[in-house]
Amino acid sequence: MVRLEGVHKRFGRLEVLQGIDLEVKRGEVVCVIGASGSGKSTLLRAINLLEPAEQGRVFLEGVEISGTKGLNDVRRRIGMVFQQFNLFPHKSVLENVTMAQRTVLDRPKQEAAERARSLLERVGLADKLEEYPDRLSGGQQQRVAIARALAMDPHVMLFDEVTSALDPELVKEVLDVMRELAREGMTMIVVTHEMGFAREVADRIVFMDEGLVVEQGPPAEVLDSPREERTKRFLGLVLEH
Amino acid sequence: MDAFLSQYFDLDIMWRSLPDVLSGFWVTIQLWLVASVLSLIWGLVLSLLRQLPGRAAAPIRALTIVYIDALRGIPLLLVVLLISGGLGALASEDVIADWIGLPRWFGKPDPFWYGVFAITLTYGAYMAEVYRSGIEAVPSGQMQAARSLGMSYAQAMRKVVVPQAVRKVFAPLLNDLTALMKDTSLVLVIGLAEVVSIGQDIQAETFNSSALVLGAILFLVVTIPLARIVDRQIAKQQIRYQRA
Repeated sequence: MVRLEGVHKRFGRLEVLQGIDLEVKRGEVVCVIGASGSGKSTLLRAINLLEPAEQGRVFLEGVEISGTKGLNDVRRRIGMVFQQFNLFPHKSVLENVTMAQRTVLDRPKQEAAERARSLLERVGLADKLEEYPDRLSGGQQQRVAIARALAMDPHVMLFDEVTSALDPELVKEVLDVMRELAREGMTMIVVTHEMGFAREVADRIVFMDEGLVVEQGPPAEVLDSPREERTKRFLGLVLEH
Repeated sequence: MDAFLSQYFDLDIMWRSLPDVLSGFWVTIQLWLVASVLSLIWGLVLSLLRQLPGRAAAPIRALTIVYIDALRGIPLLLVVLLISGGLGALASEDVIADWIGLPRWFGKPDPFWYGVFAITLTYGAYMAEVYRSGIEAVPSGQMQAARSLGMSYAQAMRKVVVPQAVRKVFAPLLNDLTALMKDTSLVLVIGLAEVVSIGQDIQAETFNSSALVLGAILFLVVTIPLARIVDRQIAKQQIRYQRA
């Protein structure tokens, strides 16, 4: 579904990705863990080419997308949800979910609105269609953001620490939506600090450190009996408290 | 004191000159409205050109910056003179067509249109910088979110970034429109009978300044409400800011 080969990315003198190889299969849920600054978010942005890699290749559904034109069509097949939600504050909830359907997919107004309604119902926000983002809680905003991404019928979804900016009591409602999505067979790459979620939902855990994939495998393996010293140290720090 | 009052506030002269002053003020208002709309559009175009992404657009960005710096650094009066003297001469030498060199569109005399051109060129440059500050104040996550949904740069600008930017700079743009209104009076140097030039004529005939004071009052009738709108808008934005 998604394949990365030797992906490098630097910001000035800082090499954030130092040669990433990663393959994600259709329907697979991969959770990426690691300390902040390890390159997890940059990895996601390299996949949908918001931060194109300088070296290496990115494939989507068997076709190379790095260094090609027509990125808008590629990006609409890759849904992305951000830590800071990034809803459009000048648009209502419904318009947030219909805008790209109308401009990118040329869906008729009626059809876009219907799709938006059914998705917002799915994330439990059927009663908030006409609200504006600043009237919603963080958890509600993030669920709108998920619906907005799903409205484009993406083939894979990227989640970039989507619960990190939420108050603790709002985390569950967002994770529940993601659980449901995983159960339905969506291909998902999830950068997260929620170890419980990763253990429960992930098919595979990828541990990153200093721009490299250090270790990967099934949750039970990586989380309970890590092979690498760096993985042990990181897990010791996050699981202790 | 009486001499002072009658020099500036001679009600009799004010009353008699009212029709002329009003007709001049009507010209001022028309000039203001047309130049405002065009400046707002031209300024937005300039700010978008200045921020075009990619290496291919580097020459366009550089040219736009040169233009903005130049027009903001030259007195408007000088631009008015350059335009009016230049366009008319070029048209008479058949270098440019008469319709642009001696514009008389919509029944307005050519000084009116020279004024519109000059004001638009200058105020477009000012407003480009205002728009730019607004665009830069929109969080980068907005552009990223739009692009991640598959929207093109142009679509993201049009639908997501510019609408938010314009809201942020509503107050400073309105300030510029107020300044623009006062600057319309500079066009009197090329013979447009707007409110200040009419007041000046009456002052020359009567040795009395009351008609000019009347003109000043008419300006205030428009500019003071504008200032209050700006205040309200700023207060509203501060509330929104505190909530966010």
